[in-house]
Amino acid sequence: MCWSGRPKWGCHRHPITLLRERLEDIFVSLGYAIEDGREIETDFYNFTALNIPENHPACGKADTFYTTDGFALRSQTSTVQIHAMQRRGVPVRMIAPGRVFRRDTPDPTHNPMFFQVEGLCVDRGITMAHLKGTVGELLRRMFGPDTVTRFRPSYFPFTEPSAEFDFSCFKCKGSGCRICKNSGWIELGGCGMVHPNVLRVVGADPQEYSGFAFGFGIDRMCGLMYELDDIRLLFENDVRFLEKFE
Amino acid sequence: MFISYEWLKELTDTRLMPAELRDRLTMVGLAIDAVDEHGGDAVLDVEVPSNRPDCLSHVGIAREVSVIEKGRLRLPASEKPKTEGRSADLTSVEIKDPDLCPRYAGRLVRGVKIGPSPDWLAKRLEAIGQRPINNVADITNYVLHEVGQPLHAFDFEKLGGRRIIVRRAAPGEKLKTLDGVERTLTNDMLVIADAEKAVALAGIMGGEESEISAQTKDVLIESAYFDPNSVRQTARKLGMDTEASRRFERGADREGVLRAQQRCVELICELAGGVATEDAIDVYPKPLGERVIDLRPERIPGLTSLTVESDEIIRILTGLGFERVGSEGRMSFKVPSWRVDVEQEEDLVEEVARHTGYDKIGSELPPSSMSGEYQPTEMRQRSLRRALNAFGFDEAINFSFTQQDSRFDLIPTLAGHETDQPQLENPIIEDAAWMRSTLLPGLLSSVRHNLNHGIRDVRLFEIGRIFLISKAGELPDESLALGIVATGGALEENKAQAERELDFFDLKGALEAAVDWMSVAPLTFTPTSARHLRSGQSALITNDDRKPLGTIGRLAETVAASYKFRQPVYVMELDLNALLSGPAKVIQYSPLPKYPSVVRDISLLVDRSVSLDEIFAAVNKQQIADCRSVKLVGTFEGGNIPASKRSVTLRLEYRSDERTLRDEEVEEYHSRLTSALLETFAAEQR
Repeated sequence: MCWSGRPKWGCHRHPITLLRERLEDIFVSLGYAIEDGREIETDFYNFTALNIPENHPACGKADTFYTTDGFALRSQTSTVQIHAMQRRGVPVRMIAPGRVFRRDTPDPTHNPMFFQVEGLCVDRGITMAHLKGTVGELLRRMFGPDTVTRFRPSYFPFTEPSAEFDFSCFKCKGSGCRICKNSGWIELGGCGMVHPNVLRVVGADPQEYSGFAFGFGIDRMCGLMYELDDIRLLFENDVRFLEKFE
Repeated sequence: MFISYEWLKELTDTRLMPAELRDRLTMVGLAIDAVDEHGGDAVLDVEVPSNRPDCLSHVGIAREVSVIEKGRLRLPASEKPKTEGRSADLTSVEIKDPDLCPRYAGRLVRGVKIGPSPDWLAKRLEAIGQRPINNVADITNYVLHEVGQPLHAFDFEKLGGRRIIVRRAAPGEKLKTLDGVERTLTNDMLVIADAEKAVALAGIMGGEESEISAQTKDVLIESAYFDPNSVRQTARKLGMDTEASRRFERGADREGVLRAQQRCVELICELAGGVATEDAIDVYPKPLGERVIDLRPERIPGLTSLTVESDEIIRILTGLGFERVGSEGRMSFKVPSWRVDVEQEEDLVEEVARHTGYDKIGSELPPSSMSGEYQPTEMRQRSLRRALNAFGFDEAINFSFTQQDSRFDLIPTLAGHETDQPQLENPIIEDAAWMRSTLLPGLLSSVRHNLNHGIRDVRLFEIGRIFLISKAGELPDESLALGIVATGGALEENKAQAERELDFFDLKGALEAAVDWMSVAPLTFTPTSARHLRSGQSALITNDDRKPLGTIGRLAETVAASYKFRQPVYVMELDLNALLSGPAKVIQYSPLPKYPSVVRDISLLVDRSVSLDEIFAAVNKQQIADCRSVKLVGTFEGGNIPASKRSVTLRLEYRSDERTLRDEEVEEYHSRLTSALLETFAAEQR
């Protein structure tokens, strides 16, 4: 009776898929639509529409991949927000999970391709309190009911005011450990109130509508949750690695 | 940006200890990466956001601290210097390219004595990681870190014609910069020149020839404003990144040019002696206009939910250098010239919000007004993943960039433009300069990675985009594909060890079952040939609408050899969008049988070229209503069977919905079928 049962085998979703599906489930339950769009984009959708000026360092060939035809590999999934707002109009609530590309040389903490979730909520009367409530809800559902969210002022061209969000370390509960580098807080992503110029691009009146946007890396979340020591493992497809999840 | 705590204390009277400052500055948006001790001082490593060049200085940080603490900012002051003569009588400044240099001010200090800086100055620079050089150079550097304005001191005697010309470099013009490197310049780069040659790279680095030396007596102090894009592009092209370029790139304070120069001149006169000219030559053809922004107080709660009293709004903004203008009833603010980031009302809202504290913002979910929705094909995709997982396949994800590859036939929906993989202009990984137009090479590389690590049973699938250029100059086509690869032993449920090797039918079966889990109508497989598949072991996959979706089969020897595979590998790739949006499997109830069925087997010796589908079709063609099913029991080849033939055993089920069938009836049906099959396929019964 105490011998192990006959093993039942079955293989596994990729950890990125695992988290993406959880995130999608959470946001669908909060009334968001899931959107996706092109991975190769025009400069307009990748930068201009997002209020990123043409001469911004991010648009340079040092940071963003370009095809020989002059198109950009999207460097964030905010591109999808513009398409979605143009198509759906406002009010809108959506998240865009997907692949993005940045010119980083692969190392234990960087990959030139990773996965991101960007969220957007535009309606009348949306404030930063709604943003904080939404990010807090997400983090509690992902990292446990005691999770505390912290906003720090920051800068992004497509939001104003802008913030970075941190959450209390799920491992040490804030007392300090290796994961939170002894600070008690883990940095996860950026957010803010949608910049009026971005609303104008899609024909929404910033005096009537306001909205928030947020974004973070699924790979980073994956690295934290499973304590990965080298995120290059995510795309090596070593069966021994893939079978550790679920 | 390193900030000295002692220096900060002189500018603000701060009562906060370094550790407290770290938290407080972080919470207004100036994250402190570290606080380090340096010779009795504490040094804060401040991560300044790219839109806040004004905070790349002690005064900038002190201004934030003064608002945090509701304290005062004490701007640095020094003694008025001795002055004599007018700069314009001694030198001249000409801006030839005002688009790249909107302002340039030059002022002379004559009769300086070059020597080491006093201890306090050297120590201060050392604390923030700057190497002291000599008193004049150190003072320009000191003022840069104090107020954020980059300055440069020229040895006046070394300037040809004793004058300054700001112009674009001549193509191929040479300049040896202070770091000893001889630079070859291009026409889009801005230089500071004398009457003859370039003497400095504008906004980036001075030239070696006009450098301050022990013999220098008269110095020309440059304080200017250079176009951020021009400085960024030049610095990037030359691979340079200096304290000056970092500030000009982000945007310096155009109106602070003279103030910084005055401070620098005062310090030089005080610490290195010398007599300054009475004024600067200030070339500033188009002064910057005043920027005034209206702030409607209700906009603050409207965007942030924070309630902030008017007095507090005014305190925060005036503390940050905004000047309240206009009538009493309205809130209008003049933007200080150093705040290059502030353009509109929302920017003022952010200033008020971050100094009120983001931690005071409440937290609530937005009122619910919409229903959530998945992508239309998400549930089918999830079923597909679960099915393939259950049948022993792990999910893989590969980079979207790969090498150019013509070993593979593309999936049928993309066939026709095979050589048009989009190419990357600036790849980061060697051998990955093209966007993939098939998932198979990535999956096969993953198989090789696993084989190299001693894992010989590998079953992987990947769902991802593939790319193709269909028209030059237009956005490439993107399609979603599903790729599957399998090699090694066929693991079976409950077994830790494989009893046989995987074959084509394992892969086909997994795909068919997955399609069934997705509630998609069954697929059809017909023999085909494909460049990357072994002939005779490759099939075209079509859906219920007869649309070709992809191919499946055993990897061709030539391709397998290029991966150094020594065991059979089976691969499948199809157009997943087409599959996901294809016709649904019809689920329809039919009553359970009331009467028993009779089962008869039949073995036929048929030509090897006869397919099972053809045999089933021949059975159906007889239209025997009471023949309810035909199934394959098994096939047999070899032994005493001729090489061109195979034995196929079928099981037929006969049943009526009306009554129990009599033996004679079954016999009649079965012999009719048997003779039809024997005749159709010129078969023998065994």
